[in-house]
Amino acid sequence: MTFLAPRLRNVFGMATGISLLALSAAWADEVTVWCWAPEFNGAAMNEAIARYTAANPDAKITVVDFAKADLEQKLQTQLASGTTEGLPDIVLIEDYGAQKYLQSFPGAFEPLTDKIDYSQFADYKVGLATVDGQTYSLPFDSGVTGLFYRSDLLEQAGYKAADLADLTWDQVIEVGLKVKEATGKPLFSIDINDAGAMRIMLQSAGQWYFKEDGTLNIKDNPVFKKSLETWVKMLQTPDLYKQVSGWGDYTGAFNNGDVAGVFTGVWMTGGIKNNNMAGKWAVAPIPRLDGVEGATNASNLGGSSWYVLSSAPAKDTAIDFLKTVWAGDVDFYQKILVGQGAFGAYLPAREGEAYSASDDYFGGQSVWADFSNWQAKIPSVNYGIFTGEVDAAIAAQLPGLIAGGSIDDAITAIDAQVSQMIQ
Amino acid sequence: MRIFTKLSSFVVQALLWLAAFISVFPFYWMLSGATNTANDITGGKVTPGTALFDNISKFFTLVDAPRIFFNSFFVALVGTAITLIITSMAGYGFEMFRSKARDRIFGVLLLMLSVPFAAMMIPLFVMFSKAGLMNSYAAIMLPTLASIFMIFYFRQNTKAFPHELRDAARMDGLKEWQIFAFIYMPVMRSTYAAAMIIVFMTNWNAYLWPLIVLQTNEMKTITLVVASLASAYTPDYGLIMIANVLATLPTILVFFLLQRRFVEGMLGSVK
Amino acid sequence: MKLVTYSNRENWAGWSFIAPAMVLVGLFMVYPILWSAWMSFQTGKGMMTKFGGTDNIVRLTQDPIFQRALGNTLLFLVIQVPIMIVLALLFAVALNNPRLRGRAILRTAIFLPCVTSLVAYSVLFKSMFALDGVVNNTLIFLNIVDEPIGWMFDPFWAKVLIIMAITWRWVGYNMVFYLAALQNIDPSIYEAAKVDGVPAYARFWRITVPMLKPVILFTTVLSTIGTLQLFDEVNTITASAGVGGQPADATLTLSLYIYNLTFRFMPSFGYAATVSWVIVILVGILSWLQFRVARER
Repeated sequence: MTFLAPRLRNVFGMATGISLLALSAAWADEVTVWCWAPEFNGAAMNEAIARYTAANPDAKITVVDFAKADLEQKLQTQLASGTTEGLPDIVLIEDYGAQKYLQSFPGAFEPLTDKIDYSQFADYKVGLATVDGQTYSLPFDSGVTGLFYRSDLLEQAGYKAADLADLTWDQVIEVGLKVKEATGKPLFSIDINDAGAMRIMLQSAGQWYFKEDGTLNIKDNPVFKKSLETWVKMLQTPDLYKQVSGWGDYTGAFNNGDVAGVFTGVWMTGGIKNNNMAGKWAVAPIPRLDGVEGATNASNLGGSSWYVLSSAPAKDTAIDFLKTVWAGDVDFYQKILVGQGAFGAYLPAREGEAYSASDDYFGGQSVWADFSNWQAKIPSVNYGIFTGEVDAAIAAQLPGLIAGGSIDDAITAIDAQVSQMIQ
Repeated sequence: MRIFTKLSSFVVQALLWLAAFISVFPFYWMLSGATNTANDITGGKVTPGTALFDNISKFFTLVDAPRIFFNSFFVALVGTAITLIITSMAGYGFEMFRSKARDRIFGVLLLMLSVPFAAMMIPLFVMFSKAGLMNSYAAIMLPTLASIFMIFYFRQNTKAFPHELRDAARMDGLKEWQIFAFIYMPVMRSTYAAAMIIVFMTNWNAYLWPLIVLQTNEMKTITLVVASLASAYTPDYGLIMIANVLATLPTILVFFLLQRRFVEGMLGSVK
Repeated sequence: MKLVTYSNRENWAGWSFIAPAMVLVGLFMVYPILWSAWMSFQTGKGMMTKFGGTDNIVRLTQDPIFQRALGNTLLFLVIQVPIMIVLALLFAVALNNPRLRGRAILRTAIFLPCVTSLVAYSVLFKSMFALDGVVNNTLIFLNIVDEPIGWMFDPFWAKVLIIMAITWRWVGYNMVFYLAALQNIDPSIYEAAKVDGVPAYARFWRITVPMLKPVILFTTVLSTIGTLQLFDEVNTITASAGVGGQPADATLTLSLYIYNLTFRFMPSFGYAATVSWVIVILVGILSWLQFRVARER
């Protein structure tokens, strides 16, 4: 690289001098934010920016949005290249990937331990952005899970809210079969290649693919075995679900009324409310695993946090911005909760008005207060750095398992594949 | 015998129309999708709906369309022009002036074509960022200009270029570059037309590399914008479909414009 | 004496014609390729790499995912490339017949698929081949199948879907090359053959195919390279939750695996580079074979 670079610079310099093709937009005092989902993360960020610039008219903060996979790819290329020019000042990272970035690119992210009061954020969100005692994130949205269901359809099958408040997954399968019988509609839309269900089940019992120290936690882990068994049992019950492929197909199924419910993260609330089905939806706690130690009716799926890049020229403004709005403005959290359905991990926000309001779309249920209560019960786990690898290994075994293969053999195969990949 | 010929020509016709139908159906689906709401589309509705103007107005409020389309057109058109000149020269050079050394270089080029782009992205990125060219039109275009694929294409097509034409021109005292510019280029019109369609299309739809080097909303191309729209937590398919229609229209237009060139070429560019 | 100077002049012209392209190739291809060659001997996570010698090659031999990806890629290659080349050639010849009615419309229609952008294409195919999508509904309506086919859930049908998708997208594209090349064949050759009473299929085999041999070779080599680098389709159409190559790695290809190793999994750039060199070596062997075959015919 080094032997070529100086000469290249000349060639490029000439080319740009002549053609004026280079339009560089690197202002030192300007903060750039990368995120995905412009209607959700982008909108919440823009609201925060509006609040901050109202008080600090000199600050210029811009949001650039990309598709999530694209953002990760850009970030990873850039960090790997070792050059810092062009990196944003603030970037959104999904919680599952946080440790991977923090550990494989040490020094790239700015520790905020001394600047942010982390006692005001949900514990489990803080833990997953901490490496060697330093915390790097400004925790944003929670992925606290719930069982969203069509109250009108479940009523036809004879279920009331109280019947659904304390379910196990095995009971959910029964509910699903009754719903199908009574309404002709399956309870869920399921993409068998989506690892979400396994993640929800594991975390609900305080377990993960890895132990605290990062070693594999697959073989001889009764919770992993129970989760896999439960998931396979669900997949082996065709009347329980409509089989879908891809995100659009998946969300379309419950937004269209093809299926009667969905178990997912709180961030889906906005999407569900975006249909003309007011009064027909409700939320129950996520079901728990049957017969394992530590099983709870609370878990997490997804959720993400903001990170400041160490190399950012406008780092100080970026941190001040995050601290002022994202770690201090209760009112802001009410606004994005109502506007985007963005459920923050900032605990003082829960005292705000919007968090206790009831919602007519959900038949007058105080959904946000319920989610707050469930969030407090989410067991904290360490997501580790190889989550994607394990997901892939599980997915590879599923067709065989659905066809009736042995769970123990599959667990051995998953363990072997992952061990090989992470050596 | 006559009946047999007629029958077989009928079968050929029918098969061609079937192939054409299969090829075009997804476009109909896309167009009708642009007139439907997100829920209708995921619900499998095939007939046109009434949400077209809603979708269009959503698109134009969310996206800075003039700027985005300018970016796409600028990069695609300038990139295509330069690519055609550089690669046709190279293809001509490799084929008309064969030597052992150049043949060997050509063999190496072919091998280079097979290196997956993902493997080269990081070093390329380092080069451009060191040169201070991030987030520029030049960064999008430069790595694509000397497309090995197009060099290969022009070399193959040059094989059909009659050598007698060059020899005659040399007798008339034309210089080598004049032969290329005034004889080869006009004679190979249909080759250029096909190449232009392909290069324009590739540039217009380029995704991975622009994604890596572009950093601000003002520099994004339409292809990147469509991908970002599709990344919502609950994607709005009506909006995505109209964005797809708008993103596909220019490539279809270019094809229709150049198709007439194609026909001209058929009337006998090589006699 | 005169001959020597002429040859020098010609040699100089040869270099000048290829010079601009070579400069650009040197900058934007040769250097990154050398970098990746060097990287393929590094091991480690992210940027914390160290020299690993042949460790990555050893890892290849023990990596079941790599072997799955290699198998899938070769299967796609062996089945898809011949189908596509033959279809494209037949379409081109049929469309080149000046007496064919609706020629321009047909040609345009068959070419159109390759102009769609990737995002549009994947959204379309996903919705059309959904369990209750247009394709299954049509097949059931026509009584061809009794139950909907799990295009994206069954490992076998997922492979079929990918082959159909690539063929749909690229047949028209290859056809254009043949059509353009057909324009450069002197029509009088066909006239003469017709006068001599040579039947249509023989004209195809004895005139068209040999005359198009350079272009056929060209498209075959390129399609081989394209299929060995197959990525777009398997990363979008058979993808779920942002993860391509589903179901159960049934459509995982080498390029997708490289992508996963670079961006999705814990980044191991060195090993990813090693896998990309497998593709380079495969292309080298296959192209050499294809050139050999073309020369012998």
